[in-house]
Amino acid sequence: MTVSKVLFIIFGVLAVFGGIGAITRKNIVHALLLLVFTFLNVAAIFFLTQAYFLAMVQILVYAGAIMVLFIFVIMLLNLRTYGEEEQTHRKQRWIALVLSILVLAEFVCVLATMTFTAVGGGFTPDFIAANGGSTKVFGIELFNQMLLPFEVASVVLLVAMVGAIILVKKEKSGGEATRTWEPGLQPSAEVAEEEV
Amino acid sequence: MTGAPADMPIPVDWYLYLSAVLFIVGAVGVLTRRNLFIILFSLELMLNAVNINLVGFSRFHENLVGQNFVIFVMAIAAAEAAVGLAIATVLYRNRRTLMVDLFDRMKG
Repeated sequence: MTVSKVLFIIFGVLAVFGGIGAITRKNIVHALLLLVFTFLNVAAIFFLTQAYFLAMVQILVYAGAIMVLFIFVIMLLNLRTYGEEEQTHRKQRWIALVLSILVLAEFVCVLATMTFTAVGGGFTPDFIAANGGSTKVFGIELFNQMLLPFEVASVVLLVAMVGAIILVKKEKSGGEATRTWEPGLQPSAEVAEEEV
Repeated sequence: MTGAPADMPIPVDWYLYLSAVLFIVGAVGVLTRRNLFIILFSLELMLNAVNINLVGFSRFHENLVGQNFVIFVMAIAAAEAAVGLAIATVLYRNRRTLMVDLFDRMKG
């Protein structure tokens, strides 16, 4: 039992508990903070795996950028707290829970019977250390072997950005006509006023 | 840092078990919660579980393709978060709620 194994168990258990907390909180902001906690633990596991660059990207992009995006939208929408309302689907939650635990048991059964043999691709820690560190080797590998997927990913990000802007843009005229809601869900006078 | 972890690497099974548990937690979140935001959080959790798998196997096979792939998963996750949040904004603007079972206009 080396130090790294003990740390892996600690961070893994914390990540799982953070995830369970994130999907059970009523308050969205509490759930988001627990999710950030989970992502930080996953970043720690990346550190233990010696994927240093990915650990930093995990912290900067996931726990930083994406979660700040969520916070911004939660702040902009000005959600009321859903304290009294039911948080889960009444009919389907027990079915979903049982089926998910069955799938987990299936995963564990399959994994318990499998043995993996390492192929040995040559990127040992000694090789990476001799060639200028993990970030340099990672970058060379990324821009040599994965150049086309990298460019495609940039196009995907551009399309997502343009799509998000067009989706949330308000129509200049006739926008009010398309704004319909269920009769039972009439906004309060204060909210409707705020919207105009 | 090249000392102990290099000599005794963490078994690849451990990554798989951790990733399976995190994935199932995310799946339970997607299937049971009514709030659209929590469903988006659960999706991020599932994508992270996949990333743990990729990194663990990348270390196990001493190959960097898995780590490179994680970058693309993160890019797709960012795009998904941007578009998902835009859709959530529009839905909230039109319907004043984020409970997904109330969006039943198409009788799904």
